[in-house]
Amino acid sequence: MKGLTFAGRVGKEIMRDPLSYIFCIGFPVIMLIIMSIIDSSIPAQANMTVFHIENLAPGIAYFGLTFVMLFTSIQVSKDRTTALLLRLYASPMKPYEYMVGYTVPVCVLGIAQMLICFTASYLVALMRGVSFSLPSILLSMFLLVPSMLMFVGTGILFGSAVSEKAAPGMCSIIISAVGMIGGIWMDVDGIGGTIKKVAEMLPFYHGVKLSRLPFGDGLQGAGVHLLWTYAFAIIFYVLAVRVFTSKMKKDLK
Amino acid sequence: MGYGIEISNLRKEFGSHVAVDNLTLNINEGEIFAFLGVNGAGKTTTIRMLTGLTEPTSGDARVLGHSIRNELDRVKEIGNLSPQETSVAPGLTVKENLLFIAGIYGLSREEGLKRAEEIKDGFELHEVWDKRAKTLSGGWQRKVSIAMALITEPKILYLDEPTLGLDVLARRELWRVIEGLKGKTTIVLTTHYMEEAEALSDRIGIMVKGRLVTEGTLTELRERTGKDRLEDIFVSVVEAL
Repeated sequence: MKGLTFAGRVGKEIMRDPLSYIFCIGFPVIMLIIMSIIDSSIPAQANMTVFHIENLAPGIAYFGLTFVMLFTSIQVSKDRTTALLLRLYASPMKPYEYMVGYTVPVCVLGIAQMLICFTASYLVALMRGVSFSLPSILLSMFLLVPSMLMFVGTGILFGSAVSEKAAPGMCSIIISAVGMIGGIWMDVDGIGGTIKKVAEMLPFYHGVKLSRLPFGDGLQGAGVHLLWTYAFAIIFYVLAVRVFTSKMKKDLK
Repeated sequence: MGYGIEISNLRKEFGSHVAVDNLTLNINEGEIFAFLGVNGAGKTTTIRMLTGLTEPTSGDARVLGHSIRNELDRVKEIGNLSPQETSVAPGLTVKENLLFIAGIYGLSREEGLKRAEEIKDGFELHEVWDKRAKTLSGGWQRKVSIAMALITEPKILYLDEPTLGLDVLARRELWRVIEGLKGKTTIVLTTHYMEEAEALSDRIGIMVKGRLVTEGTLTELRERTGKDRLEDIFVSVVEAL
């Protein structure tokens, strides 16, 4: 219950920041529109499918989650610099309640972002006469959940481990990595070689692949992507809990 | 009434530096006890240990009978703290800040609202009630920060330099609120303002370099030092060491 009270406060603080709307909601929609226009300009002979709406929509939904990570890290690192956390450390709140408090509101934000992204994508698909089924959207959103948790965990991790100034910088490294080797803006399979090998070692490529499966030939081959995505989600979230708790203990020395 | 706080041989070391040196002190229930001392005397560290923000190196303290070493969860439930730094959630309104802390301490929504209304009247927060904390002046933020410590009706209240940064009128207003708690809440106060300690405290303790050098009522301190004004008492005690 205390965790949810804390979550309510974190949620309000995030939702009252205009940047949340610009990055978490405006950005995916704008990217979707721009990339759809680019897609319509690419001749079919180029065989470039990465910007087709069925690939673009889950890709942007995934990319949008990196901004959830950014906001989480900013919120956690900002809290650490204020005396509010000191007051809360003196309260009966338990360490896990802080994690609940940070995780719940940003997950709500992440789900809202996905909904907006897929709704806009649905409208674009309708306009372009592309089939875009509701079950596929729902399944894709479901498959994005572990990636969302991984990004929330990463946000808490960076927010706990580094300063308010350094946390956004750390996040931008991840955002760039997702953009480059996640397969959202370029066809990693088509490039192959070392790029693909590196991409396969990281969770982003697998997370994007997983979110696109419901719009393709189904869930064949989902196992390896699921394994990779869940493994990283668990690792990053557990790491976030450990680092946050150890920082808290250090503050209380 | 028994003791609100019983401190026995409480010690805190930071490396080779002794911040609090075997502090032993009993504070009566419902009493206002003021710690006086120059910067670095150990006042804030003492409060940090009593509130669970810093682990003691040795010794113990019992807050309404509960050990800060073994029953910290219980200790945290019955106390509340207004830290030295202003401590508010900047994006929340004044009302939301109060309800937030009420919720963290387990008060129901109804209880929280009722207490928030009382606090609003007591602290005269009407004009800033629905304003976000970050838009308020430093003085208002300070008042809200202290109000947040009071909304839970703590049995033990720790006020670490509560009136720092407040103007004279706001300070007097806060004094009235603190005086109103006399007898009901055990208050541990740290301050640099002698007139504040004089006006509010039942007993005063003077800390120097981590040690509690002397403590007692103002009358007792006057008798002990032969000085009349608290400032003179303080200077004579500190300079004697």
